[in-house]
Amino acid sequence: MTAVAGAEGTGAAHPVTGLDEVVHQRVRLGILTITHEARRVEFGYLRTQLELTAGNLSKHLSVLEEAGLIEVEKGYEGKRGRTWITLTPAGTTALTNEIGRLKQLIARVETSGEAAED
Amino acid sequence: MTAESVPAADDPRRVLADLRALTRRVRLDQRMTWAALLVLAVATFAAIPFDWFGLWVNCLPDGGCQLARRGMLYYWPWAMVAAYAAIAVCYVRAARARGVGTRVMPYVITGAASTVVFPAAWVAVTVYFANHPIPEGPLPYWYFVLDRLVMPWGMIGVTLLVLAWLERNVALLLFTLAYLALVLLVLPMNFGFGPPHFGIRAGMAVPQVIAGVVLLLGALGFRAARRRRP
Repeated sequence: MTAVAGAEGTGAAHPVTGLDEVVHQRVRLGILTITHEARRVEFGYLRTQLELTAGNLSKHLSVLEEAGLIEVEKGYEGKRGRTWITLTPAGTTALTNEIGRLKQLIARVETSGEAAED
Repeated sequence: MTAESVPAADDPRRVLADLRALTRRVRLDQRMTWAALLVLAVATFAAIPFDWFGLWVNCLPDGGCQLARRGMLYYWPWAMVAAYAAIAVCYVRAARARGVGTRVMPYVITGAASTVVFPAAWVAVTVYFANHPIPEGPLPYWYFVLDRLVMPWGMIGVTLLVLAWLERNVALLLFTLAYLALVLLVLPMNFGFGPPHFGIRAGMAVPQVIAGVVLLLGALGFRAARRRRP
């Protein structure tokens, strides 16, 4: 787990300190979200939805695979090669945690905004 | 989606909005609602001849008639299994072609389970009233609703509710609620329209034709909506 920004204030740790750099990166967060919702997703579908080049998507998939968040399965359908991606249990947990922290962050920003107005 | 990293003040909100948009797109790509409705419409239409020719009628000298819809009991359990298998195949093939997985299996399992549970409940109700005297006076309204709920058209509606929940499909939810209101509260699915406007068999067929047409129109509507998607 790598923090992308320092904590601020006192008391409970700022939600930003819990953000995982591997997961928090936008494209990778998009990959995890799509894969979670789709159960199983094909490389070409991810590339289209995220508007990425094949090379760029491959790099992000490698990062997620090395972190143990996704599994990549290569196979054939007829003569056509296809790559399918599924989320690991660790990937599901990481995505859930990330979304939870983003929501906390929003709540925190809103709370501090209201306090500043008062 | 871009490859840039984190925070501007409103960034988390924007990220979550992007993720919701992605989730919605995946859900839309997983849907084959029109195919499910089409298969169920076909099953409903195909049931009519079974009900027509399988109907046992014994009219008494006092003008009353005893009925037993035996054709339905022979047809629907098999038809339901075949229909849910066909729906599962449609969903899996379409999702695979689009490059995503599918959420349909809980729906298919619910449908398959309902082919056992609902006919069993229906037979139980029939056997109960065959061995117990029907109470004097008009039967309570809830009895008719319960009777229609455990019939195949009611169970189609109940399983469509499961599909709407799985697909987070508000349009299907609204369609299903309207369909259930029709087959539970409006159409006499259990006793048919009967004389004087229709004969006994035709009176049984008319509500089934209406339910089938509604499912078919639903299929066409969802198909048209899907084709309009960019």
